[in-house]
Amino acid sequence: MRESKLSLVGITKSFPLAQRRSTDTTRLQVIGGVDLEVAENEFVTVIGPSGCGKTTLLKIIACLLPADSGQVRVDGRTVTEPGPERAMVFQSFGLFPWKTVLDNVRFPLLTRRMPGAEATEVAMTYLRKVGLERFAHSHPHQLSGGMQQRVGLARALATEPDVLLMDEPFGAIDAQTRELMQEELMRLWQETRKTVVFVTHDLDEAVLLADRVLLLSPAPSRVRQLVPVDLPRPRWEYDVRAHPGFAPIRAELWNALRGDLLADRAGQAAS
Amino acid sequence: MSAAETRTGAARRGLRRPQYWLPVLSLAVFLAGWELVGRGIDPLLFAPPSRVAASFAELARSGELLSAVLTTINTLLLGYGLAILVGIPVGVLLAQSATAGAVLRPYFYGIFATPRVVIVPLIIVWFGVGYPGRLFLVFLWSMIAIATSTADGVRNARPDLVEVARSYGVSRAQIARHVQLPGSVPFVVAGLRIGAERAVVGVIIGEMFLQLTGLGGLIQSKAQSFEPPAVLCAVVIIAVIGTVLILSLDAVERRVSRWKE
Amino acid sequence: MTRTPRLTRVANRGSLRRLAPHLGFLATLLVAWQLAASVLDPLVLPSVTSIVAAGFDLVASGELPVALGQSVLLLVLGLLIASAVGLGFGILIGRSRVAHWTLSPYFSALFVIPTVALVPLVLIWFGFGMTGRVIVVVLAGVVPIMLSVSSSLRDEPGELVEVARSFGVRGELALLRTVRLRAAVPVIMSGLRLAVGRAVVGMAVAETYLRLGGIGALIRDYGSLFQTAYVFAAILPLSLLGVGLSALVGLVERHFQGWRS
Repeated sequence: MRESKLSLVGITKSFPLAQRRSTDTTRLQVIGGVDLEVAENEFVTVIGPSGCGKTTLLKIIACLLPADSGQVRVDGRTVTEPGPERAMVFQSFGLFPWKTVLDNVRFPLLTRRMPGAEATEVAMTYLRKVGLERFAHSHPHQLSGGMQQRVGLARALATEPDVLLMDEPFGAIDAQTRELMQEELMRLWQETRKTVVFVTHDLDEAVLLADRVLLLSPAPSRVRQLVPVDLPRPRWEYDVRAHPGFAPIRAELWNALRGDLLADRAGQAAS
Repeated sequence: MSAAETRTGAARRGLRRPQYWLPVLSLAVFLAGWELVGRGIDPLLFAPPSRVAASFAELARSGELLSAVLTTINTLLLGYGLAILVGIPVGVLLAQSATAGAVLRPYFYGIFATPRVVIVPLIIVWFGVGYPGRLFLVFLWSMIAIATSTADGVRNARPDLVEVARSYGVSRAQIARHVQLPGSVPFVVAGLRIGAERAVVGVIIGEMFLQLTGLGGLIQSKAQSFEPPAVLCAVVIIAVIGTVLILSLDAVERRVSRWKE
Repeated sequence: MTRTPRLTRVANRGSLRRLAPHLGFLATLLVAWQLAASVLDPLVLPSVTSIVAAGFDLVASGELPVALGQSVLLLVLGLLIASAVGLGFGILIGRSRVAHWTLSPYFSALFVIPTVALVPLVLIWFGFGMTGRVIVVVLAGVVPIMLSVSSSLRDEPGELVEVARSFGVRGELALLRTVRLRAAVPVIMSGLRLAVGRAVVGMAVAETYLRLGGIGALIRDYGSLFQTAYVFAAILPLSLLGVGLSALVGLVERHFQGWRS
């Protein structure tokens, strides 16, 4: 069997709750135990109810947060620090407002000691890929939300990572632009062939983009379902939602999710 | 639209705007009132604007004013400049450790909150009556203001963007340079403003209570010899110096925030 | 399957852990001070023990409590008047553009002039008694209060005014009372904190200049006798007064801001 690009083994995570007294330290178990193998060039989307730790899981993969237990492995090697092989795209774009678009994309490159001229060239290449080369010397606040996220995407891709981690990247973008962004993302992914872990709360989006959909249970979360999506690609060339294969997949996920949500609510009402 | 509104609508064009002529008018009324009242009161206690102007001319001619202004500005700029040069790096250092910052903060605040006028006896004992003591009074309090504001800025500025930088594996020094420092600019500028105000107060206190010299000394000596017009001259000049400092800081802030356009 | 989030109790960290660095630093500071004092001239740096002894002496002889009482009285009186005046003018300037254009330049001018510089003049005009001293404190504290009141009243508190009107609240005064002032509380509180700091300085300056009672006079008297230990012992309560009052305002601020996250 080919080695997975990205492995999550036994990941758990808890957080301290707000304390009434300083002697009071209760913890909330958010991730109860997650195992996942992601193959190279695979596009995995992650969905689940609020509070199930989707974003937390992504941050653990990026090593922005330490897991309580378990390991993250890339190409078989355990990783404990953020590194060049994993790049993240953020829901709030995460652009530095005081830097130009070009400087924002160049930033991770410069800190890796790439000489300035070379960094500029690489940055411009990726700005061209997302169609924003004309805005290289603008500042983020002059761009729309969709454009800012494309800059975020260019920045992540410019570091030529192996794994792309995307945290609800289109959550803050209006519905119409979102559809265009989804298409653009799929094109770029097809072109650059990265391994992607994509967190979203939008079930349709999760099925549309993915090779496999990971559904997490409510906290303490575990892998509830791992559903393959073998709808034909490229998916922007036809109406995916109208494809006969779409509905059963979505229904399977929705039933599981809905069941969990209702049971969770009943459980909370009882307690 | 009421009659008043149409009138203001027309007047809004050009210098006829109410926000220009109202203050001017009120200033004219104020000065006129001051003059009339002042004429009637004992000249040892009060000074109408006409006498203040005369006093100004006299002081300028005798060179007394110029030397006082130069002394004050010299101490002020040196003390404030040093406060900036020392305060900003200290602030950045302070921000690196949350514990160090928390532990030192109450002491900084305690010193900051103590009126310098009562510290003067200690200054005399430590520095003697002279320039080093006056410089210290300007420097330390200004430096504390700048350092604590800078530390606040570096600690609190855009933690979300610090996380973004961390995700790209950027070193701590580079995070400080590319994220925390630019993000802390509003805090640093606020600190510079407070520091400037502290500096102006500090130089005057030194000149009134530690060593009678400069504009503060002028105020003291003229007050003691019951020459209120001269005192007012000095007060006005101090106000002008303070205003110039604040306007310069506004300009600095605008320049540093140019990316916001 | 139902699953409620699992809560686990972890061994308590304790508030002692959090105090430890503060206590540690304070202990180190005191030890270092005592050591340095044993080497240096007691005039320059009195030992911790001598300062403590001086403190006890001042309290026992009644000098300190009396002086503190006089200072606090002056401060509270001055702040109350400053608050009333600041509130009144702040409402006027905040709600009337004419008032803003005519009156606010004078407040701005007052703000730029260090209180210290005004003290000689004020005392000449209003005498050396309580009146003069209270006026100094008022002048020191009134501008931040006025500015915070006016600026917070000038901004519309969102839809709250519309909501109030829809419930039948009519008239400027009623709106002021029910909605505007309440919404302005946070900004006013921060202005008050600034005013308290400036008022303490004003109080100290007025007392030191006159040597007629209060902590300022006490410190200056012992300073002129070069009793450094007593100077330190008297400065400490003054710093604590300033810090304590600011903390008090902070508490009141937090009480009113309870509804905020």
